[in-house]
Amino acid sequence: MMAETQLAILFTSIALVVIGLYAAIFVDNIIKKIIGISFIEEGANLFIVGIGYKAGGIVPILTPDMDPTWFASHASYPLPYGLVLTSIVIGASTLAVMLALVMVLYRKYGTLSTSVMLADTSKQEEYNE
Amino acid sequence: MKLYDQIFDVVKKFKKLFSPGPVTNADVSGSLTAEIFIIVSIVIASLLLRHISVLLAGLVTLILAVVLITSIPLIPKFKIEQEDSLNKMLFYAIITLGLIAVFLYWGGLLV
Amino acid sequence: MNELIPLMVIVPMMAALLLSAFSKYEKFIRILALVVAICLPIIPLLSNYGLHYFGGYQPMTDNVTNIIYHPAITYSFNFMQQIFIGMIGLLTFLVVFIYLTKYKNVSGPYLFLLFMGTAAVTALLLTDDIFHMFVFFEILALAQVGIVAASSIDYSYEMALKYMILGSIGSPIMLLGIGFLLAITGTVNVTDIVAIIRGGLIDATSPVFLLSLGLIFFGWLYASGLPPFHTIKSGIYSKAEPHGAALLQSFTVISMISIVLIMFRIYSTLPIFEVLIVLFSVIAMILGVSMALTQTDFRRMIGFLAVGELGFIGLGIGLGTQFAITAGLFQALNEIVITALLFIGFGAIVNATNEVDTRKLGGLLAYHPKVGIMLLVGGLAMAGVPPLSGFQSKLMLVQASLSCGFPELSILAIMVSIATFVVFVKTFYSMFLSPKPHDLEVVDKDVPKAMVFAMFVLLVVIIALGLFPDVVTSGISNYVGGLLL
Repeated sequence: MMAETQLAILFTSIALVVIGLYAAIFVDNIIKKIIGISFIEEGANLFIVGIGYKAGGIVPILTPDMDPTWFASHASYPLPYGLVLTSIVIGASTLAVMLALVMVLYRKYGTLSTSVMLADTSKQEEYNE
Repeated sequence: MKLYDQIFDVVKKFKKLFSPGPVTNADVSGSLTAEIFIIVSIVIASLLLRHISVLLAGLVTLILAVVLITSIPLIPKFKIEQEDSLNKMLFYAIITLGLIAVFLYWGGLLV
Repeated sequence: MNELIPLMVIVPMMAALLLSAFSKYEKFIRILALVVAICLPIIPLLSNYGLHYFGGYQPMTDNVTNIIYHPAITYSFNFMQQIFIGMIGLLTFLVVFIYLTKYKNVSGPYLFLLFMGTAAVTALLLTDDIFHMFVFFEILALAQVGIVAASSIDYSYEMALKYMILGSIGSPIMLLGIGFLLAITGTVNVTDIVAIIRGGLIDATSPVFLLSLGLIFFGWLYASGLPPFHTIKSGIYSKAEPHGAALLQSFTVISMISIVLIMFRIYSTLPIFEVLIVLFSVIAMILGVSMALTQTDFRRMIGFLAVGELGFIGLGIGLGTQFAITAGLFQALNEIVITALLFIGFGAIVNATNEVDTRKLGGLLAYHPKVGIMLLVGGLAMAGVPPLSGFQSKLMLVQASLSCGFPELSILAIMVSIATFVVFVKTFYSMFLSPKPHDLEVVDKDVPKAMVFAMFVLLVVIIALGLFPDVVTSGISNYVGGLLL
């Protein structure tokens, strides 16, 4: 039972990462690409959450009426959750900055296609007079 | 005479590399230096394989030298692959990720 | 005074927040930015070496296994950190000084980005916690994107978005690697992880451990701009304002060495780790320098050169002996100074001519002799001409690779130095010595005094390190010796 839930979490997270990598290469629309990239992020977060999982575990808060040894063997591992919280915040801010830049560039080019918007620009700028 | 013509052709191809705009002496000689530098440094770097097997190093070095010299000019090809397009950068980044993972998973204990 | 250790991160971060919050009050932020910038190089010099435990959680000893656990986020401060934080503080001071004197209206948010980046790299250097490292690595990436997007150069938004997208692939992959490590060791403190691995509590040959190396390594490639990320790194240098680029390259170098030292401590038992580092360093040297030779935009050219020089640092660390790692770290220190000098100097030229194409420039030595000569010395230092600092570190690297039994790497290093020299001489000739084209107008006859001052300070550092390398190398060597134990 324990192994099954945890395995399901791990497989889902790896699947998310792979889908994200696929989207990063093969999708042309920049918004879809960014959605794919945030899949990678969520996959990594889900993986770390999965590490802390414990079947039948309790919330890792030690109250005075608990026996510390019983608590230690039954509580789930709290460190990954703390880490994931930070990482989600970082992911959200990265996403916001990316989408803001996309907005500015959409106004300039009028398209969301990556091959137009983010193509090689070195030729245009070198001799543009 | 084919190789001779090819070497002669290199400068003409470099002219295209720098268009639009004038091509100066310094730019073409810089590109020629880069051409020679790339061939020599890749061949020397392949000598590092001798720490795995001397025979392999010899073979790879010879084959690389022949292949690289007969396929000049290399710089235009290298430059096209390393331009600023996001799609190319992403492609190479993910290919590298895959190679690292495969190399470590199956080759990690061999080295 | 161990209390100063966390202040090295807190002071620039607090200053950044205040500058952003009070950006309306122009005079206040000018004074605050200048005062904090002066403080930055001084704090590490006053602080004592030692450890700092956040929250005061002291290490705990497990009575059964006798293993010491570190529950707190730990900062360790030593000679290596001192010299690098001092140098980054000096550079931040010079960059902020240039920015404050160059523009009439200073922008609080831009100063926020500069100080936030400095705080992030300082934390990267100090931290002994692998997740803390990841967090500041992300903050650093955001600050870098901001610095690029804030510049007024054409196509800077595009470049910033490209960097961001590549970054948001690189950093979750690194997080996944950290997750793998956490899964097998149950901790994120580097000292604890090293103790667990050395104690044989986990199987160092298991695929999970190897894959965690691969994933963290990929994140490191993104942070340090080694191939396949060398194009985007040189791109963001060329799209930032020159003083911003000077700071950006130092961020890159610092994040490279701080992450690689953490990786070195964890994975140095695996021989494949060193093979990987040397492999990517060699590719970086070859591609960086050969691409630099074919560029016509001189900012882009310096960007590629900076990436090529990173290969030297990687080479030193990949060889893995005490002498080689010392040489690599010394090269990192020199590169921070030299590349900053080059970016600021070429920035002065952009300022004076509004032109970045070497084909349209010429004859500038008559207009800007001071800048020209200082740039020449900087370029020679980068190529490794005695008695400048680049020579000392490159000589050490060549000796190190010879004594490790890799003469090929020595030859390669010397060849790359020569090619660097060619790049520099070619550019210097076409910008300063060749006849001036008729249509070139030198708009601004005076280079800003702050830029000349900054270049002069950096030049003094280059010459001093070139003449007395022992001041730095002996301390770094001791630190590396402690690392290898």
